[in-house]
Amino acid sequence: MPTLQTSRARAAALAAAGGLLLASASAGLAPRPGTASSHREAPLISGQPQYDNTDVYAFVSPDRPDTTTLIANFLPFQDPAGGPNFFKFARDARYDLNIDNDGDSLPDLTYRFRFHDRLKNANTFLYNTGPVTSLDDPDLNFTQTYDLTLIRRVDGNVHSVRDIAGHAPVAPSNVGKASMPDYAGLRAQAVRAAGNGVTTFAGQADDSFFLDLRVFDLLYGANLKEVGNDTLRGYNVNTIAVQVPTRHLVKGNDPVIGVNSTVSRLTASGEYAQVSRLGSPLVNEVVIPRGKKDAFNASTPWQDARFAGFVTDPELPKLIEKIYKIPAPPGPRQDLVQAFLTGVPGLNKPARVRPAELLRLNTAIRPVAKPDRLGVLGGDKAGFPNGRRLTDDVVDIELQAVEGELLGTKNDLGDAVNANDVGFGKAFPYVAQPHSGSDVRGAAKPGARASGASATKDGEQVNLLNAGAVEDAPDGDGGPLSALPVAALSAAGGFALAGGLLWWRRRRPATGRHGN
Amino acid sequence: MRPLIAGVSAAGLVAALTLGSAVVLGRPSGAPAASARPAGAPGSGIAGLQARLREQPRDASGWAALGVAYVEQARVTGDPAYYPKADDVLRRSLREAPGNDGALAGLGALAAARHDFHGALRHADRALAANPYGQRAAAVRVDALVELGRYDQALAAARRADSVRPGVPVFTRLAYVRELRGEVREARRVLELARASATERGDLAYIAAQLGELAWNDGDLGRAGREYAEALRVSPGHLPALDGRARVRAARGDVAGALADRAETVRRLPLPRHLTEYGELLESAGRRDEAERQYAVAAAWTRIAKANGVAADLETALAAADHGDPKTALRAARAEYERRCPGPGVRQCSVHAADALAWALHVNGRDAEALRYARQATATGYRGAMFRFHLGVIEKAAGKRTAARRDLAAALRLNPRFSPLWAPRAGAALDDLGGAP
Repeated sequence: MPTLQTSRARAAALAAAGGLLLASASAGLAPRPGTASSHREAPLISGQPQYDNTDVYAFVSPDRPDTTTLIANFLPFQDPAGGPNFFKFARDARYDLNIDNDGDSLPDLTYRFRFHDRLKNANTFLYNTGPVTSLDDPDLNFTQTYDLTLIRRVDGNVHSVRDIAGHAPVAPSNVGKASMPDYAGLRAQAVRAAGNGVTTFAGQADDSFFLDLRVFDLLYGANLKEVGNDTLRGYNVNTIAVQVPTRHLVKGNDPVIGVNSTVSRLTASGEYAQVSRLGSPLVNEVVIPRGKKDAFNASTPWQDARFAGFVTDPELPKLIEKIYKIPAPPGPRQDLVQAFLTGVPGLNKPARVRPAELLRLNTAIRPVAKPDRLGVLGGDKAGFPNGRRLTDDVVDIELQAVEGELLGTKNDLGDAVNANDVGFGKAFPYVAQPHSGSDVRGAAKPGARASGASATKDGEQVNLLNAGAVEDAPDGDGGPLSALPVAALSAAGGFALAGGLLWWRRRRPATGRHGN
Repeated sequence: MRPLIAGVSAAGLVAALTLGSAVVLGRPSGAPAASARPAGAPGSGIAGLQARLREQPRDASGWAALGVAYVEQARVTGDPAYYPKADDVLRRSLREAPGNDGALAGLGALAAARHDFHGALRHADRALAANPYGQRAAAVRVDALVELGRYDQALAAARRADSVRPGVPVFTRLAYVRELRGEVREARRVLELARASATERGDLAYIAAQLGELAWNDGDLGRAGREYAEALRVSPGHLPALDGRARVRAARGDVAGALADRAETVRRLPLPRHLTEYGELLESAGRRDEAERQYAVAAAWTRIAKANGVAADLETALAAADHGDPKTALRAARAEYERRCPGPGVRQCSVHAADALAWALHVNGRDAEALRYARQATATGYRGAMFRFHLGVIEKAAGKRTAARRDLAAALRLNPRFSPLWAPRAGAALDDLGGAP
């Protein structure tokens, strides 16, 4: 075949080349308006991922249950081998972890990270000039440090500002084995005990989120065929984290805190403008419509009433109904209001609450030895939406919740990515070590679970509709959450209570589905 | 590709190609793919977006991102074939999601790139109504207002954008508005802010080249040279920096180096301005015949433009005024002035359009008329030695000797070597008037 077509193909290629030449000539000489540029054309697309807040986590520290850990990630999609890049925090930004401890949606405490750059040798643009063995190694050419301050507010107004850590080192980008033979050792040096029982960390880490981003694409294309591919596998992020004695975070007898992370950026006029905001995962994707995302990112929880309609009358289940014929649960969705805005009564709802999009954590719920990836849906109330742990499979949880799992409508929606590609740490900062620049992109790390587009389960193709299912196993004891006051939920849902379990029913343990 | 234009004889095209020995349109290899998503993100860059959209053809924001990426690609490569593509996919995005601000902002950017600044403003306003926090729409709005000469409004728009969505696209625009208003220190400060927060090579190169431009306009050759070199270091072949380096080299007497840069610039993007500057450099080096060939290509460009029904551009007007047909220059400049100066009752006007019209009137011997526009071009305080030089020459021709002496001296004070061809002529004209006041 190829032989037979050769001469014709060649002729075609020649003709095409001729056409191209002519076309190029005309393109080059004909001054279409745009080519005859006489105005200053500035970049339209600027790479500014340092200000992009990707995920927030808040959980009772499993190894130190009298403390709470808060983590926020930024600067997504760092290609570890993409160097020599400085995957650095922006020095003209304020990276804040905000805590509301009285339910009024105003931050009462803010842990603020501010970063500073240092280039030891301005004559080289190399990140490091030799193997790096410590954070103050002269061979580590580019370094960042940070100052951490604790801001206390009363009714939203700054009451006091206290320095917690100054000139603390940032764990560097993991350039590669030759440059950083003991990266774990380096990172350990970046975990710092600060004043008042606070431990802090800032630096590069594996992107702890695991999901198939195409789950959301699929909704556009009605194409079920590919799930199960961890889109974020192999990418790094920049992490900030604090571990704080829980008694410092809570107020009075209410153990529930509301957490979010914000990034504010220095404007040319010298003010700070908030450009990124994140509490619960995927709210931007699942709840807030495209055109409102910038407004959401610039807003404060105090103003969240204006987004309430997107929660009570969400877009996503309608899309799913249109495409997959799964009936959208009837609105208004008070169940989602509880999941996203107020917290669930008896679980993580503050005593007095102003509805606002915050990640709400009941710090009085003890951490469990074996976290269930489906969190509260799996009967494990130490997990999402009660705060968020690194192992919580928030995509499956939210898809199922949006489709009415909270209302008792069982479904198995999921993206077939159930665990992170790298194991998490057992101690602060818990986030996984970053992928090294010497790793081959796409190669599985030791301990990574196999995942792929062609996953099957019991001989059945895994797809969006069944990927969130858990394996059959004996039912639990009826659920540790049976005491939850679920009446509020049922009122909105209008469904039959079954054994007092409702959506909080004990899901079967997800044996074999955990990566670690 | 659009059909070849009627009215252009094949001979004319061949002549243009032959004359412009340096004119070979080449798309720079390895031109950076525009990224609408973070660098390295799946689906970033044109190829990534195309692949994603083949799978998910109903993704409106994906189509919008692809459209903007095409516009950006045209900016980087100078290849206008991206414009119709951008138009198609942006409209596709609007069909998938009517009124989405991403596609509207993209259409605004496309209109601005095609020099339809009124259209750009309309699209940007619609995009901002849909999403008041959109950075791209805000940037397009500032661009459009700047090009229309509405500098006060441009400044207000840039300040508003800065207060809600600060960042490199806003900083660079804010700096340009400041520069056009003669606020050089503020422009420099804002560009330094932009540099401190930029990480992408394209951004860093653009910012360095703009800082080079500020230094050049101040006659600070050392600083300008360093900034252009920095731009070329972070982004080898960055065209505005190459153009700037050629100017600096010529000003320093490195004619060979300047000629090499100019030849490369013209090879990469044979616009009238680049051809003219190359020609002027050749002419100043005594290579008049070669210079004429470059001017001829620029003139051919103008003819093709006219035959194509394309609005002639400012730089076409200037090229024709100095090295071509004065009547062509005046027609083009007038058209451009009408496009960019909003009409009676509006105080502000594009300084570039005013300067081009003033100069075109001058070469047609209408100096009394020209004076008004030349003054308009320098009224904002924008520091451009060429504008000041034009004003001085027009004043001299109009018999205003004192003013001419003052303005010619001012042009040379701003930048004594602002052009290899025109700076010596400014000096001669000033001597003729009795030297600097």
